[in-house]
Amino acid sequence: MRASGAAEGGAAGVARRPDRMEPQNTARTPRHAHNRAAALFLLPAFAFLGIFIVWPILMSIRLSFFDWNGISPTQTFVGLDNWRSLASDRIFWKALGNNFIVVIASIAIQMPVAMALAVLLHRGGRKFKAFKVVYFFPMLMSTVAIGTLFKAVYNVQFGAINPLLEALGLGSLAHDWLGDSRIALLSVIAVICWQFIPFYMILFLARLTGIPNELREAAAIDGATGAQLFWRVEFPMMRGIILTAMTLSLIGSLKYFDLIWVMTEGGPSRATELMATYMYKEAFSSFRVGYGSAIATAMFVVVMIMALTTMAAGRSRARTVEG
Amino acid sequence: MRSITLALLLAVLSGCGGANQPEGRSVALWHIQTVGEGPEIIQQSVDRFKMDNPGVNVEVVPINNDAYKTKIKVAVGAGNAPCVFPTWGGGPLREYVKAGQVLDLTPYMSANNYKDRFLDAAMPGVTFDGKVWGVPVENVSLAVVFYNKALFAKHHLTPPRTYDELLKLVHALKDKGIAPFALANKPKWPGSMFFMYLVDRLDGPDTFAKAAAREGATFEAPVFIEAGKRVQDLVKAGAFQDGFNGLDYDSGGMRALLYSEKAAMELMGTWEIGTIKSENPDFYENKLGFFPFPALPDGKGDPNDIVGTVGNNFYSVAATCKDPDDAFKLIQYLIDDTAVVARGKSGRIPPIKGFQTGDPVLQAVMTLVEKAPNVQLWYDQYLPPSVAEAHKDTSQSLFSLSMTPEEAARQFEQAAKDFYKQ
Repeated sequence: MRASGAAEGGAAGVARRPDRMEPQNTARTPRHAHNRAAALFLLPAFAFLGIFIVWPILMSIRLSFFDWNGISPTQTFVGLDNWRSLASDRIFWKALGNNFIVVIASIAIQMPVAMALAVLLHRGGRKFKAFKVVYFFPMLMSTVAIGTLFKAVYNVQFGAINPLLEALGLGSLAHDWLGDSRIALLSVIAVICWQFIPFYMILFLARLTGIPNELREAAAIDGATGAQLFWRVEFPMMRGIILTAMTLSLIGSLKYFDLIWVMTEGGPSRATELMATYMYKEAFSSFRVGYGSAIATAMFVVVMIMALTTMAAGRSRARTVEG
Repeated sequence: MRSITLALLLAVLSGCGGANQPEGRSVALWHIQTVGEGPEIIQQSVDRFKMDNPGVNVEVVPINNDAYKTKIKVAVGAGNAPCVFPTWGGGPLREYVKAGQVLDLTPYMSANNYKDRFLDAAMPGVTFDGKVWGVPVENVSLAVVFYNKALFAKHHLTPPRTYDELLKLVHALKDKGIAPFALANKPKWPGSMFFMYLVDRLDGPDTFAKAAAREGATFEAPVFIEAGKRVQDLVKAGAFQDGFNGLDYDSGGMRALLYSEKAAMELMGTWEIGTIKSENPDFYENKLGFFPFPALPDGKGDPNDIVGTVGNNFYSVAATCKDPDDAFKLIQYLIDDTAVVARGKSGRIPPIKGFQTGDPVLQAVMTLVEKAPNVQLWYDQYLPPSVAEAHKDTSQSLFSLSMTPEEAARQFEQAAKDFYKQ
């Protein structure tokens, strides 16, 4: 899910390029012809978006006002009943809370670690090329494979972690990693971080590479230490990419589904329930598609508000920095 | 260029039209027999059907168990159901029946007394309002306690006949550093088997049936609270291995504990026999034994009662099927005499009267079902889906000791109230 968020981010980046080339084009062809061609080229993309994204979203908003089991030919209009149940549904609020824990943990852990690795790889240069490949591995694996792998690693009897802790004399730290409702969420978050740190690492590394070397040389001449170079020169120039990364991480964490589903299915006892897993269970296991749609719509609203707020905050901040 | 775009668009749109029905008589069959000899047995039945009915095309689609549960629902909801599809009977099938999506098979089942071919205990799961909606085909699966005979012999232990003996056994095994029961309770239904048996042994099947029918009892009845307490007593006594609530059943987590002798027993459906036979022939030959869930001396339930399913999967015909006669005939080929023999050989018990098998383990299971006064269908298949989910969730919370028996019963009952809008 998060990967799709990243892909969207990437697509937006690419889409911006033709804008910049526009002046050259219009110099040769009349503007209206140019627009028509553009519309034609955009049509298939918009048709797909319309059919597979916009229409289903509108349908689930509509369904959130109905009582429907998903198989019956009749859908009963129930007004705001689903929404009223949702407002007083402790499981939904717990899931929303869990989503925010994932958001906070993702941003607080993934960003600094990814940044540290990116700086390390950048400063190491060619010598660290092998590490660059190795660090990127988790990003190349399918989430289901990662989930299955870590289920085995966390296994109490046969897994790798508990025997390792015992061998190190830390047997008291051995846990029932996925079965204990007090720590299951943290166990899964650790895997989420492992999976996504490489993505942000590459993002940061690309930006670091893009910073002109003259700045670093100037700083070196002024006698800047490695730490000063980072905090005074590189970090300020990376504000934009950090904000993008945080927004992607935020949206991805709020929509998160797959790894949790593979590893815990939201259990035990709802300890790792997220909005998306709860939505899936209600719609497809409990045959309550109307209520599931209400959860999906609520999720859409939450993600929308959070994303818009972050972006607005980012914009105003960028303005103060520039001004 | 516009024409190219339009052509592409049309191609895309026409591709969305759903399952295109080929010309002529055609029957689509979905099934979930994807492991062991399952796919072959189905395919051989289909081949025999096609040989005898050359004009009918059969489209066979094998689907993985968990993916199927979502796929069939979406297909039926969208009006694209396959002609023949499997269910587990009980609550979910009833939802399809109520939605008018399943063909009433009563006339077909009554013709030539075809119904009499099947075990009587197989029919309640697919009979609603006096009509039959599915055909029992695949396997009789009863929950029994499997144990490692060699391990028991080594420690001079014997299978328990009463619950008190079982509790003593739990302590004896635990003292030897062996987990008494292996349990993979991430999917929740394996733990639910203990709860169902305790309810049945304490009180018999009636209170549950009444509560499920919303007549004369609720899921807050004392028996459900007492069963919850006994589950928690087992957990507190250390009857299960560490980490049971995080362990997956599908990846073989439970059996791995048995094979490695880290655990001595497991309460599981008899489909496990076929799986163990193909997975670990040595264990099957030399170590595998089972006994029925022990009797509760202070309980009212008949100790011969069994929890399980007789006939799982059941095959139904979609109401939208254009060729129901061929569809039903195809189902008959799925469970004709040749298919019965093939299923027996692969370690299954077809839900057929007088089924004989040379396999002593299977024969013992057959004996159990024949002398059982009542076979309680799994709660999570008997109940309507949302109530079933609530049962599984509360059962898992009982096992993790994160919910009191009273609170679990209250939430179970609340889900039933919500479903029936009481």
